[in-house]
Amino acid sequence: MAEKRLAIWVVVEQNQGKLASVSIEVLGQAARLVETASALSGGVAVVLLGDQVGDLAEELSAYGVDQVYWVDDPRLKHYQNDSYSGVLQRLVEREKPDILLFGATGAGEELAPTLAARLSTGLAAHCTGLDVNADGQLVMKVPAFGGRVLGEIFCPNTRPQMASIKPGTFTVPQRRAGRGEIVREDASSLLLDTDIRLTTVDVLQSEPLGLPLEKADVVIAGGYGMGSKKNWGLLEQLAAELQGAVGCTRPALDEGWTAGEHTMIGTSGKTVRPKVYLGCGISGAAHHAAGIKDSGVIINVNRDALAPAHAYSDYCVTADAKKVVEALLEEIRRTKNEKRGR
Amino acid sequence: MPELKFSEAQEMLRKVVREFVEKEVVPIAHRIDVENECPVDVFKKMGTLGFAGVFVPQEYGGAGMGLTERAIILEEISRHAAGFAMILMTHHLGVEAILSYGTEEQKRKYLPDLASGRKIGGLAVTEPSGGSDVGGQQTSAEFKDGRWVLNGRKCFITNSSNADVTVVTARTGEDAKGRPAFGAFILEAGTPGFAPGREENKFGLRGSGTGDLLLNDCEVGEEALLGAQGNGAKLALATIAKVGRTGMSAISVGILRGCLEEGVKFAKERILYGKPIAKLQAIQLEIAQNRVDYEAARLLTYQAIGLKESGANCDAEIAAAKYFSTEAAVRSAKRTIDLMGGYGVMNDYPVGRYLRDAMATIPSGGTSHVMQLVIAGQTLA
Amino acid sequence: MEIAVLLKPVPDPAQYDKIQIDPATGILVREGLKTVINPEDKHALEAALQLKEQYGGRVALIGMAPASAVETFREGLAMGAEEAFLCSDRAFAGADSLATSRVLAAAVKKAGPFDLVLSGSTSADGGTAHVPSQVGELLGFAHLTHVIQFEIGSDGLASVRTKMENGYRESRGRLPLVLGIRRELNTPRYISLMGIMAAQGKPVHVWSLDDLGLDKGKVGLAGSPTQPGKLYQPDMKRKGEVLQGEAWEVAQRLVGIFRSTGILG
Repeated sequence: MAEKRLAIWVVVEQNQGKLASVSIEVLGQAARLVETASALSGGVAVVLLGDQVGDLAEELSAYGVDQVYWVDDPRLKHYQNDSYSGVLQRLVEREKPDILLFGATGAGEELAPTLAARLSTGLAAHCTGLDVNADGQLVMKVPAFGGRVLGEIFCPNTRPQMASIKPGTFTVPQRRAGRGEIVREDASSLLLDTDIRLTTVDVLQSEPLGLPLEKADVVIAGGYGMGSKKNWGLLEQLAAELQGAVGCTRPALDEGWTAGEHTMIGTSGKTVRPKVYLGCGISGAAHHAAGIKDSGVIINVNRDALAPAHAYSDYCVTADAKKVVEALLEEIRRTKNEKRGR
Repeated sequence: MPELKFSEAQEMLRKVVREFVEKEVVPIAHRIDVENECPVDVFKKMGTLGFAGVFVPQEYGGAGMGLTERAIILEEISRHAAGFAMILMTHHLGVEAILSYGTEEQKRKYLPDLASGRKIGGLAVTEPSGGSDVGGQQTSAEFKDGRWVLNGRKCFITNSSNADVTVVTARTGEDAKGRPAFGAFILEAGTPGFAPGREENKFGLRGSGTGDLLLNDCEVGEEALLGAQGNGAKLALATIAKVGRTGMSAISVGILRGCLEEGVKFAKERILYGKPIAKLQAIQLEIAQNRVDYEAARLLTYQAIGLKESGANCDAEIAAAKYFSTEAAVRSAKRTIDLMGGYGVMNDYPVGRYLRDAMATIPSGGTSHVMQLVIAGQTLA
Repeated sequence: MEIAVLLKPVPDPAQYDKIQIDPATGILVREGLKTVINPEDKHALEAALQLKEQYGGRVALIGMAPASAVETFREGLAMGAEEAFLCSDRAFAGADSLATSRVLAAAVKKAGPFDLVLSGSTSADGGTAHVPSQVGELLGFAHLTHVIQFEIGSDGLASVRTKMENGYRESRGRLPLVLGIRRELNTPRYISLMGIMAAQGKPVHVWSLDDLGLDKGKVGLAGSPTQPGKLYQPDMKRKGEVLQGEAWEVAQRLVGIFRSTGILG
């Protein structure tokens, strides 16, 4: 039996023994492509690098993966672009996959271009859509000008075709019944000590407090139009009443009103898809809009009747957001009390 | 007639100043007005960037630019905070007097600190007897035992309490024909017998403290005399025309741009009858008038300043620019308030302040009546 | 310390909502947009100027852009850089990140040697965030991007903190390095009037394909491994029902909407 060709590779990311959510999101797309694209023949492989991450290899094999390339070495404990790209370069040159996908995380945004330069091949950044055309070419949809424009990118003449995918763009797929084969690679032949010029001396990651924006059913987003840190407190109260999370735009972040950059929504921030999105004092520049477009119901409150936000809203209110949020708080509290009273 | 076109460096300057103003001045513009206080820290920051010495040659610690660049700075600040621009504009009066009339020694002594904003400057001419009646000044300077002794009261002096270095005019005696002769003196804050008096409460251009300066047997050495003895009135008038009137004109252009932009913003945001009022023709007419007033004032102002920089005799052109721009700023602010309906009179919007500021630009450097007389004098000559 | 700062002129990000695609030709219409220094590149330049103040040396600006972008480079010179190298040739047009990086790396080599190459981590227009890493690879320098803090000792050993999701990573490496700088690193200084005056006399060298000795097939659209296809504007239009009335009336409507979606009991 001929070995199954592994057309699409997904380079997954793990941090201290935990898989990045975007890696699974990307796996879902890889599986979709091999299943739906008739011009594409072959299966899906994942590449996992780390130190003692065998359990992650197991976990990954359950997402419609044909094979897991597992490279385990103490020198790979922490991501570093020179060691990781050395391993990947050798593996890719040996196996010659058609397509190589990454999550566009901090590390992915460094590793993917590094590898693309080494392989002299094309890389599309922060893809929001992936398809395979009739010729079997990967069609990569990428945002430009902060999401104002989307463009298709092809990589016609060089292989692999590389793409990074923005976290949150796609949903996390279900695990499947079948298991892929786990192949433990010999790290000593893939990673040379001479590769390593940078050493990791410290890694600090901590989950922010509260409900993460990307998991909230209700997102209350505030912009510059909220006017002050004091008014911002109203958004936090409203989010608490609705068990939602507060997001922000870049201008509001720059004003220092918000909980931090991890709450920024948009092309250079988070992508969210809540059941209800309520934008307050947000004009709705394209880079913010790109981060919310898949929300269930979009509501915007803004003083400017011509704000771009109104065009992509299901409901819009032309008013001072502060006043509407105050009224909304009052109304929600009143109805909650009424219920309790009954 | 070529178009009004700024050089690449001037465009860069405008961009740089605008960025500074948006970050540092806009957030405090309202407070400056309400509290009527000069934000000295922001002034000093402007000083380190060269605003305070924009037209001072680099050998004296300035930026080595000219009056056009100065006008760009004043316009950009006044777009949001004319009262604050007034502080800088007045500072430049003191700077200009020393730069144009000072000895090498005086320039070396005072200009580096003034140009870098470490010290604030001023010019004191006006007295209770009137501002434009320069010949009627009563403040006296008597030469006794090799020293000048000054006595009198100056009033309506901007930066009176903030200035570290003020150029003060005083009557030194009479000329050969028996007419009063004047001198100008560089007085440092803290000199015995020289102190700010009462502070006025202006309704416009607030933040630029205006008040009395009191001279009470204030004794200074010969080296304090600026320019030739007997040249004080000429020095004052020339400085006011060159730097004062052009400065007030540039400030008015800034206010006019503020009216135009705030009016446009409001017209787009305010919904009446289900659509923004910008769609209403009556509103469009007001916007058009604001635009024309702004454009005309801008052209007159930069044209007059360009003429002055080329060395031309252009007192009438400067007067025309000042007269038109300050009056247009008042008109435009009132028009913008009208356009805004009830909101126009609310202090939530800055346009009410623009109207008060615009009114206050008129007397400074000579009222509209005086400007018209200058224009007529030259036209009828 | 000899520092190169990669500087990219981009259309002002504040105006991206004005960008349209011509429905007839499918070409991007971006006329009338102001050109500015890519915002993160300003932070890179600030970092370079601070190092120069600490260690002495020079700061050179290097970029690839049409010759009309000289004004943008002049702004970088006004901020305090000593000279600028502008790579400008029709052959460079349409370059993807790799083809761009080839030009920039060649210019860094020709203008160098440099101890350090700094760049914004990402550009506001294309936004790929590829260039610092790819220039690093092509130069053979170690490189890190998304830098939010760094220090370089007088022994040439650098400690570099890079941003990760919900945290950071601290790395160590030796010069020469390429670092992609994020805006968290510093606050760029204001340009002073003296800086503007000084910039008028500073050299801006314009280099063509031949000056850089590059192969035409490796640069521009022809030398780009990725090729652009169709452009379009995402259609995000929704019904846009306007809720009118006083704040309390609007609030009642909104509560109704919240109920119907099930997020409020």
